[in-house]
Order: sequence, then structure tokens, then C-alpha cells
Amino acid sequence: MLSRYVRMAIMVVALGGALDAYGQEATEMYIPIGQSPGLSGKGSLIGTLESVDPKTKLVMVSSPSGPRAVAIAERTPIWLDRSLQKQSNRSGVFADLQQGRKVEIKLRKGEPKPVAEWIKVEVAGAK
Amino acid sequence: MREWPGWSLRGRNEPSLAVSCVLAGALLALPACTAPSSDSVSRGNEIFFNQTFNGNGRTCGTCHPARNNLALDPAFIATLPPTDPLFVAEFNPDLKKNFENPKLMRQFGLILENLDGFDDLENKFVMRGVPHVLAQRTSIDSNQGPRTGWSGDGAPGDGSLRSFATGAVIQHFTRTLNRVPGVDFRLPTEAELDDLEAFMLSLGRQQDLSLPLPLKGIVAQRGQEIFLDNRLGKCNLCHVNAGATANFGGGNIGNANFNTGVANLPDQPADLAKERNPRDDGFGRPGDGTFNTPPLVEAADSGPFFHNNAVETIEAAVAFYNGDAFNKSPSGLVLAKGDPRGIGIRLDATQVVAVAAFLRVLNALENIRQSIELLESGAGKGFAERAEARELLERAVSETQDGIKVLDGGGLHPVAVTHLRKAGALAKKAARSFFRRGTLARQAIDEQRNARAQLTGAP
Repeated sequence: MLSRYVRMAIMVVALGGALDAYGQEATEMYIPIGQSPGLSGKGSLIGTLESVDPKTKLVMVSSPSGPRAVAIAERTPIWLDRSLQKQSNRSGVFADLQQGRKVEIKLRKGEPKPVAEWIKVEVAGAK
Repeated sequence: MREWPGWSLRGRNEPSLAVSCVLAGALLALPACTAPSSDSVSRGNEIFFNQTFNGNGRTCGTCHPARNNLALDPAFIATLPPTDPLFVAEFNPDLKKNFENPKLMRQFGLILENLDGFDDLENKFVMRGVPHVLAQRTSIDSNQGPRTGWSGDGAPGDGSLRSFATGAVIQHFTRTLNRVPGVDFRLPTEAELDDLEAFMLSLGRQQDLSLPLPLKGIVAQRGQEIFLDNRLGKCNLCHVNAGATANFGGGNIGNANFNTGVANLPDQPADLAKERNPRDDGFGRPGDGTFNTPPLVEAADSGPFFHNNAVETIEAAVAFYNGDAFNKSPSGLVLAKGDPRGIGIRLDATQVVAVAAFLRVLNALENIRQSIELLESGAGKGFAERAEARELLERAVSETQDGIKVLDGGGLHPVAVTHLRKAGALAKKAARSFFRRGTLARQAIDEQRNARAQLTGAP
């Protein structure tokens, strides 16, 4: 009986809890760069976009610890941080990732190379 | 604005916390508690019940009112004035559309959440009940990180309980649907998040029970047996010791998410109302259909039940696990696979009632524990602190009334109910008394103990 339930546990956990997505992305969108609780300055990468390659979907981000290449996956949400303009943050597209813009990136866990779980990009004016 | 200042008094009163731990240990064979910083708890209480974060007027306590077990239900909602910030969508033109559904809120206690994003407010939302926030210290941790909210992914940032308030402010406190920080609300500061977390972790039980308890009622006793029987009720697999953690034989895995098929229930109240009620896909974006496990000790007096407030009574919540919605769900099928007879969960009506009776008794014991703690704190206050004492004693009355309701609702332990009624009356008198507060509170404690002695053989 015990081993049945151990097997069952593995199945249930596989069904129900294996994803690494605890940060609720929906409200994350409205949090300005650098203010994500428990994450900014600890678990996220904050810096400036040094280069952007639309073909490989790779961005190079400068940071205090040196430049880092991060892949932007197809499902990576891109959010436009317009909070400095007192405007509502919005969803963006890859083209919004422009050299020189400030970004904050949460990296996916368990990936062999850095992949963005989400990326916030500071935009100067209304869009 | 302040909802129930007694919480802060409890927070400030370290002996009270200590008493709570000692009592819990004595009553329920629990290990010692770790008390959080009382100053931080006290500040967290102030923030929880009074801080609007420059938003639409709501506080955390708007949806988690202390005088209703920190949860919302239609009966409580019906007692609120029309100007209560809970109803902000009814009087603030900026929030009239796509912020709440007043009909579903008033009829079924449901709150609107945009868990899959804010890009299509008209169509992308779910309607969820408001769970209590008691016993969070025992309910959130999992091997994979903290699980907050109904689907375990309720917090932004690092996903912790500490970060939860930030997401709640953005979702529920905003002045307009633009949700601009610094305009429509302000985000909680780091210090406020620390205090809110300390306060939330201080609420309710600090440790899980250790079952079985030496219960006296034969129906509740049988309910406990069924609950703990991994071949019959199977409840203890996902609700170890009637808490919110799971253990399938390989060790406790902490809080876990399961797809139990609640979303597949036919005739859900919110659907019957013919209002827009998109399917809730649970954890993640898009969701995987799973929701996390709530603790059960506090369940009986904090319905309606499940993430969608699908059923009103604890009996119906237990009966859910007999139905097709559960037994054809991924979790039901997994249970059936682990069962020699190929059965997920199948209980007869008497067994459903027995399990519910057991949960009612557990809840009443927790009400008694909390009442005694509050009465002792109230009795210990000096003459100059009588306002604080009154608040504590009134809260004890409220807890006692909950205990009465929970037992009465199941036709359980009428003698204990009589003792609780006496305890409630004495606590009420104590709250109003200038000179006999301590004596009356101590008499109320004696009645609470008499009631507890009817329910369990534990000292």
C-alpha cells in the first residue's frame, strides 16, 4: 500500500506542482523596475541593454557583475515600464527591447543557459 | 476604519502569544511555538486593517475582516453598508466595469481576479472566494517554494507570503484600471511587507495538530477514523493532521497543488446566476487546473468552500469527494490507481456526516483555544487598559459564538454548546464590567474548559 501511495505522490506532484511559476506574472507587470518584492536586487538581473539580436532572440545586458547574454523565449512576457511617466504599464514586443534601455529580467530556473522568465523594459515616452 | 483592534493587542502582548503556545501544546500535544516580533506583528495589524495604500479605500481587512474569521461570505457581506469599500465597483465610476461583479460578490462572496493577465479585462478573469488567512505558518511552505492564494501562485516577486500584499494592492486596491503605482495606489514598502508577513504568520494556529485526538463524541470519533484511514476516507493523504500539507508515505511534501475537478462541478452557483464566469484554470499561465490545499481545522466556520465557493456547508465539501467531478479528476484517478478496489473515494452519507462532524469538533476546539487565549489576555489587562481588554473579550465572544454555531450546525455536543453559551454570556459581561472583569473572564474560561472537556479527553 505504501509503495502505491509513493507512486501516487510522484504522479500527483507531477500533475500538480512541478512548474516553477510561483511569482504571479499578472500583477508583476505593474511593478516598476527594481521594486519587485523579494526579487529585485536579489534574484533578478537589472541593467542596460547593450545589444539585441532579433535573429537569435538574445539580448546582452550590462550589469554590475558584467555583461550577460539572456535568451528571450517565445513565451517570455515583455512588459513596458512606463511608471516614470505616470502611465499604465503595458505588454510589449521584442522590438521594444532597444539598445540603451534599462531592463529587469527574471531568469528561469533550471535552464542550462540564461532564459528570461519575464523582462521589463523602461520606455521613456508614451507608446 | 479600524476593523478589530483586538488583533493588535494580541500582537503586542507577548505573554498572550506565549500562553497560546503553551495552551496549544497542552491541549493538542504540539511542540513549542516560535513567536514573531510583537512590534512587527502589531505594526502589521495596523497596516492590514487600516492601510489603504492611497488606493480606492480598501484595506486587506476589507476582504479579510477579523470579525468574520478573516474571510468573506454572503451573510457577512449582507451586513455591510453600501458605502463599504468592498463595494467600490458600485459607487466608483472608474471601477464600474471589469473590476468586480457586484452580483456575484453579494450573492456568492466571489471576488474578481485577473490571474492570467490584464490585457483583456472583459474576458480574462476568474471569480474566486476569499479564504481565511489563519494558520498560514503551517500552510504555505512546500518543497517547491511558498504557495499563496487559491492556486498557489498568488504573489508577484519571489512568490512569497511577504510579497503577496504587493499583488493584492495592484489587483484590488487600485483607484482606476490603469493601475499606475504612485497614481492609483502606492506599493507597500519593504518594511510594510515585513510587518504584514509577521502579522499574517501570527494569525491562528502556529503548529499542526497531532492526530488522532481522544475525542468523546462517537460520530466525530468515527469521522476521525475515516479521515485517517488511507483506504477509506483518504483525507489525511492531502490534509495531514487536518492541515494543509500532504504525505503519501514518502514523507511530508508540504503544501501541494492538485487538480481535484472542482472546476468541473455541475450547477455551480455562479454559473446558475447566468453571469459571465470564465473557467478558472488554476496554477500558472496558462493554468494547469490545479489548486492548493487549504487547512481543515479552521474550515467548518469559514465556508463557503473551494476556490469558487461552490458549496456552502462542510458536509457538502466532504461529499464533493464522492462525486464524479472528483473521482474523474486527475487526483481522483490517481487515488483510484492506488486503491486495491480501484476506488477513488466513496463514502456513504453517514460517513460523510461523520467526517464533517470530526471537522466541526476540530474547529470548535480551535475556537475554544482562541477564546481562552483572548479571555486570559483580557483578564490580565489593568484598569487603565480597559478599552483594550474590552476588545479582546469581545473577540472572545465572537470566537465562542463561532464554536456554538459550528457544533449546533451539526447537531453535536449539546452540553458543550450549553457551556459555550454560558462562557459567551460571561465574556460579554466581562467586556462591559468595570470592576469584575477579571472574575467574570475567569468564570468564562472555566466554562470554555467545561465545553472542551465534553469534546475531548485531552487535559
